[in-house]
Amino acid sequence: ISGAVQGAGGDMQWCLSQAKGSLDDDVTEADIISTLEFNHTGELLATGDKGGRIVIFQQEIENKRQPQYRSEYNVYSTFQSHEPEFDYLKSLEIEEKINKIRWIPQKNAAHFLLSTNDKTIKLWKISERDKRPEGYNLKEEDGRYRDPSTVTSLRVPVFRPMDLMVEASPRKVFANAHTYHINSVSVNSDNETYLSADDLRINLWHLEITDRSFNIVDIKPANMEELTEVITAAEFHPHQCNTFVYSSSKGTIRMCDMRASALCDKHSKMFEEPEDPSNRSFFSEIISSISDVKFSHSGRYMMTRDYLSVKIWDLNMESKPVETYQVHEYLRSKLCSLYENDCIFDKFECCWNGNDSMVMTGSYNNFFRMFDRDHRWDVTLEASRENSKPFQVIKPRKVCAGGKRKKDEISVDSLDFNKKILHTAWHPQDSIIVVATTNNLYIFQDKMN
Amino acid sequence: SMGNCAFDAQNLISISLRKIQSSRTQRGGIKLHKNLLVTYVLRNARQFYMSKNFSQTQRTHQYEDVTAVREKQDYLELTGSFTELADDFYCNFSGVESDTWHCGAHQPNGHPAEVAHQDASACAMVSPSDSDLMVSEACWSCADKSSWELPIPNTQANQKTVLDLDTHVVTTVTNGYFHSDCCAQPKQPQGAQGFSKKRKLDSSYHIVDPEFYLPDFGPVPCKRIRTDDDLHSESEQLDTTNISNLISVLGSGGLSEFVSWQHTDLEQIFAAQTICLKHTLLTGSGWTRAIEAF
Repeated sequence: ISGAVQGAGGDMQWCLSQAKGSLDDDVTEADIISTLEFNHTGELLATGDKGGRIVIFQQEIENKRQPQYRSEYNVYSTFQSHEPEFDYLKSLEIEEKINKIRWIPQKNAAHFLLSTNDKTIKLWKISERDKRPEGYNLKEEDGRYRDPSTVTSLRVPVFRPMDLMVEASPRKVFANAHTYHINSVSVNSDNETYLSADDLRINLWHLEITDRSFNIVDIKPANMEELTEVITAAEFHPHQCNTFVYSSSKGTIRMCDMRASALCDKHSKMFEEPEDPSNRSFFSEIISSISDVKFSHSGRYMMTRDYLSVKIWDLNMESKPVETYQVHEYLRSKLCSLYENDCIFDKFECCWNGNDSMVMTGSYNNFFRMFDRDHRWDVTLEASRENSKPFQVIKPRKVCAGGKRKKDEISVDSLDFNKKILHTAWHPQDSIIVVATTNNLYIFQDKMN
Repeated sequence: SMGNCAFDAQNLISISLRKIQSSRTQRGGIKLHKNLLVTYVLRNARQFYMSKNFSQTQRTHQYEDVTAVREKQDYLELTGSFTELADDFYCNFSGVESDTWHCGAHQPNGHPAEVAHQDASACAMVSPSDSDLMVSEACWSCADKSSWELPIPNTQANQKTVLDLDTHVVTTVTNGYFHSDCCAQPKQPQGAQGFSKKRKLDSSYHIVDPEFYLPDFGPVPCKRIRTDDDLHSESEQLDTTNISNLISVLGSGGLSEFVSWQHTDLEQIFAAQTICLKHTLLTGSGWTRAIEAF
């Protein structure tokens, strides 16, 4: 250990707990994971895929008593959330790919989540049924109706236990409110409203009302030729129900206060870091486009992800981020090839751990990166079945940017750009992380001696 | 590093145009965000190319923004108008409608053109180091173009392209003509007349701003009350504002017209088109970043 500051992050030892998904090298496009989200307790993990399907995993509660098995997740519910649609008027196919899933804080036994594709948001109710009524007078047990003349006595039906069944049913459909592609949904801390954002507009909805929504941000110019930026992500503040932020393709984040006016085209704060002129290239605009924005759990900070870096912003300081972490700076010299093969348009997400001390984001070659904010420590890990055995601590990886490649290092040119980790999630209360490769899910836990 | 020569800029322009073209047939519709980013690359590549080639002495910082470039090189006529873009991509007509297409530019003596039954492969690409950046011959392969008619320039007003989704007819009254840089004539050929033409199209290649149709159906969440001023200024309405769709421009005069052509080698046409478009972008006056709208 050569002089590296060891601290909480450095003490962590990640072990692969489970890898879920097909072992096939041939990826079925519909199985490509497109979104990932823990619920507020971390008991449930929802995944959405390109085929419009949602799979919810549940943490095994019995295992919670044994720490080394606490990150076992099994399938809880699977359902088709969105189907492909065809808009005949515009001659457009609407993809069924799930862009985002957001859980509603739980109020009763059932779980609710919002899922969205490019155009339509749906509220799903996931509930358990573990008993059913038996002893009907007019129906047989199999559902066939009895001949009423054979009924000679009456009885009261009773509930009897049955095998657990998890049902998912669509409770609300919020449609026809977005002309452009929806990129975000975010539930308000008031638990009554939520926002949905597309490239040019943000709408505010009430969870109970589907036939209208309010437009709160509209950046569409009167003349589309004057368009210079689009909205890339939006999120409500975790505690202040009047505050939300949205990020743009120009690398700016605007914070808006809904109390200030009905239409929040004027921001209350704008966060922007001027570009370093020495880094200017043909692709400057592309790599400064923000692909994700996430508030910290505390609500004091927010994190943004652009193509090469992760930035932490203090909400009280608009002029520059308080921390900047390079995810894969060695790609800066490869931007031309990454533009050619479209990788430069990949939208990486980022996430906070439960106490906001660490952040995580994905990269290529099935690598993902973790940054410890307090101890200025970072690590590159790999999601791979071949290189990890269950419950064995996984080794950090290193990319050799140039010069002599050391043993165990991988050179930039050997990186597989088809293996990208765009979606990661951190358990809100425990040191359990989930990382999505193209069509597989990897669950890691901290060893915790 | 970006100290590379103009070849990279040209390469980037080709790649970018192909991306825009291929995005039109992508499932799920055109991605506005991605196309916007691609147009930034196009702009940057063009600025780099022009600053490198136009004048050694007048070389400006490669990536100055458009306004600064405008000031220093006012002969470029960067007006920011979409019409100028249309200028670059449409071809001059003699005004005579016929089964074979006449490129108005091929009228050295003012005669109606008989043209250019040339192969696309005959398109000669002028070396970028030439100070006089003109393509010597416009080369459109002249196949049966019954399914395709070019729009005729209307020299007066810029107007809108509207796709009629029932009949799949695009109605366009444009101010477009193929810029002389690309058609070898330094000035407008004679005989160009303006009139609007109906054009048949494969509707899958033409996307109109979807909001054009919005008032007719579907609830629109809108807290703002649209005033009359708003309505007039909105490009969604069929009025005298500019063509608002890069792809329809490219489609009208450029890439997709040829892609929908049936009897021709697509690759050849595409390559020729890309070359001609690149030259226009690189040399032409009046090109500015046009934004994909759909």
